[in-house]
Amino acid sequence: MKNYVAQRLGIAILTLLGMSIVIFVLLRLAPGDIVDILFSTGGYVNADERKAIMKELGIDKPLVTQYLEWLRNFMVGDLGKSYRYDQPAWDIIRPLIPVTVELAALSILVAVCLGVPTGVISAVRQDTGLDYVLRVFSLAGLSMPAFWLGMVIILGLVSWLQWIPPVTYVGPRENFWLHAVQFGLPALAVGYRSSALIMRITRSALLEVMREDYIRTAWAKGQSERVVIWRHALKNAILPVVTVIGIEFAFLIGGLVVTENVFNLPGVARFLVQAILWRDYPIVQNLVMFIAVVVIFSNLFVDMLYGFLDPRVRYGS
Amino acid sequence: MRHAALVTTIAGLALGAVTALTLTPAIAQAPKSGGTLNVMLREDLAQGFATHETSTVATSTPSLPCFSNLVFFDQSKKNESMDSVVGELAEKWSWQDNYKNLVFFLRKDVKWHDGKPFTSKDVKYTFDMVREAPDAAAKLRINPRKDWYANVEHIEAPDPYTVVFRLKRPQPSLLLMLASGYSPVYAAHVPAASYRTGCVGTGPFKVKEWRKGEFVEYVKNPDFFVKGRPYLDGLKYIVIVERGTRTAALQSGQLDVAFPGETGRTSMEQLKKAVPTMVFQPVAQNVSDNIIMNTKKPPFDNPKVRLAVSYAIDRRGLIQAAHQGGAVLGAAMAPKPYGFWGMLEKDLLALPGYGKADEMKDQARKLLREAGITPQNPLKVEVGVRAIAIYLDMASFVVNELKQVGIEGTLKQVETAQWHPMATRGEYQMGANLTGLGTDDPDANFYENYACGSPRNYSQYCSEEMMKAFERQSQELDIKKRVAMVIDIQKRLEQDAPRPILAQRLDYFAHWSHVKGLVAHNNVYNFPRFTDVWRDK
Repeated sequence: MKNYVAQRLGIAILTLLGMSIVIFVLLRLAPGDIVDILFSTGGYVNADERKAIMKELGIDKPLVTQYLEWLRNFMVGDLGKSYRYDQPAWDIIRPLIPVTVELAALSILVAVCLGVPTGVISAVRQDTGLDYVLRVFSLAGLSMPAFWLGMVIILGLVSWLQWIPPVTYVGPRENFWLHAVQFGLPALAVGYRSSALIMRITRSALLEVMREDYIRTAWAKGQSERVVIWRHALKNAILPVVTVIGIEFAFLIGGLVVTENVFNLPGVARFLVQAILWRDYPIVQNLVMFIAVVVIFSNLFVDMLYGFLDPRVRYGS
Repeated sequence: MRHAALVTTIAGLALGAVTALTLTPAIAQAPKSGGTLNVMLREDLAQGFATHETSTVATSTPSLPCFSNLVFFDQSKKNESMDSVVGELAEKWSWQDNYKNLVFFLRKDVKWHDGKPFTSKDVKYTFDMVREAPDAAAKLRINPRKDWYANVEHIEAPDPYTVVFRLKRPQPSLLLMLASGYSPVYAAHVPAASYRTGCVGTGPFKVKEWRKGEFVEYVKNPDFFVKGRPYLDGLKYIVIVERGTRTAALQSGQLDVAFPGETGRTSMEQLKKAVPTMVFQPVAQNVSDNIIMNTKKPPFDNPKVRLAVSYAIDRRGLIQAAHQGGAVLGAAMAPKPYGFWGMLEKDLLALPGYGKADEMKDQARKLLREAGITPQNPLKVEVGVRAIAIYLDMASFVVNELKQVGIEGTLKQVETAQWHPMATRGEYQMGANLTGLGTDDPDANFYENYACGSPRNYSQYCSEEMMKAFERQSQELDIKKRVAMVIDIQKRLEQDAPRPILAQRLDYFAHWSHVKGLVAHNNVYNFPRFTDVWRDK
């Protein structure tokens, strides 16, 4: 197991290194830089001023030097300075992370609580009216983008109640219930979509397992439906579902852009888009690296979980 | 007889008083102190509070409560002109030597937010820096309005409370440019770069917190130089990027005041239906829709082709289709009654493209034929446009109009980062553009957008004759003569068509009815300072 973890960590580090190069190069390939944006807000261009700003920000150096400097500083925890805000990047990024992680975690919780039970019911009651209703429900979730659902929620609330969740961040210690509403509504919008995917995976995996001999044996032994489904069938069908949950969580960390915008939550994804538009390289590079770390480690976590959930993986390794 | 006259007079006065009280409840009510207001912000402050380094309302508007100017546009008057300029840091001012010297006499009771006293040194420091005087104590990173002060020869501070602007030639407009929201006075004892991250001003509010991407919070400045002001305890500018959410936040009461230029006609109608008590103030934005054509490159180096483009675009159609009626006809300067220098509608109708659409299009086809452009030999152009909704609607309409006269335009969406560099370098054929004027003033407009060599003269237009005309109007001291000159220049600019103006945008500035003392201006750049605004709740 130790070798397995060490091997995975090694791959993770290599992946991060590769990612760093990809991020760095792609950002520079995009037309325009921070100086262009600064001039855009000034509405004109002055060649001398441009040179001076590039020097001030250190983007006049050769690309390789810039990359190595960034990597060296990243290793020692120095994330550089935001070009736009003229402040340490970490000071800006730090408060964004808990917002996005909380929203993603809540969304996944909603998705699992909705997706797994409905998937199980749908599989067990295959081709019944209930199955069709649940499949339509899940298809609707897959068809509705989360941001659209979010906007419908906002517009519905303002039309009917003349009220919307707070548009500035409310901390849980400041007002727990308001905080819960502020995060609960977007989590519902995002979680519903993710639940649809989880429901469909759960259903198909469970249907496959339900046809296995050992399930037939369990039925023949006179086990109750609850035991057959939850103890024998679901336990074996859950692996692809866990994979999907892991992927969805990782996806949500960077994929909440529009939802964070619609609900005006100050998270990583919303800020990342603004930083990309401003070509604020230190912020973009470090935020993307953060997302990459989350993706890699959530996959690693899922892999570890396989070993825990499925003895065959454990014994095989 | 005398008694009857007296009774009539008293009755008249009483009626007048009752009418005044009924019609203007906000004025009649005694202002209340206290409370805070939540104000809409469409995007985070682009360059912090460094107003002198920016040309966007995203920086200048939320910075207004922190700063004071030497002079400012009277916040209680909708229209901005020479007559509505009032003193802020300057108690009074005086033009001397036939408008060649402008002397300001400063207030003696002003303190910076950090407690240091304000003096003439700060004024000299600020405007020497902006005009890039050889002996300036500081330099701006980006200096978009250097040209505004090109006529200033020297700034003197003979004593702590007197400042003299010595000019190369008479220029009455200087006062208007100093009254713009883009002309705050910086503190000499604070590095200019520090305004990108914070704000030390002399304004009615002090910055409490700027949470990046979220909000800017202000608290009342207890040492503000106008006693008893501001009325409010604080302000919070809340950044909401998503348009639908912004509108919902205003409708639900989480925001008290909209952002200047935010509320179009359709939004106004929706909000009015949802919240009948919401207040809307229809004003001009002093922002025009226009077409920029690169006069240095074919085919738009040919004035006939430029004029044909101008004739081809139906201004009224654009106002209805792209703005749902929320814009008006106008040439280079905002039209009356919104602006001081604009042309009357009857004069506008004589300009290319302002008449009946069919006749104008025939004229466009005729000019194109004369330039050798026919259905067999059509003109194919790329129409550059910023990839932002407020630009795209207008650009799509323009492309459709051009098609009707035989010009095959294709939209080329350009990201904001690329737009200004591309336009300034002249790396385009034609563009659908918006132009905002920091102040309703001919000098600010003509020298910035039409003068030879100006970096914001995107059409690269250069006419010696027009330069002389700009110079003449700028020096003219007789206001009637100057207005006539400015109108003549506008006509000639539309005839030369380097940047045909299509429409002047309106705003239906929105706020809740408990917000009192807030008067929207016919210019998005110069309000609100919030000094006299109060909350009736």
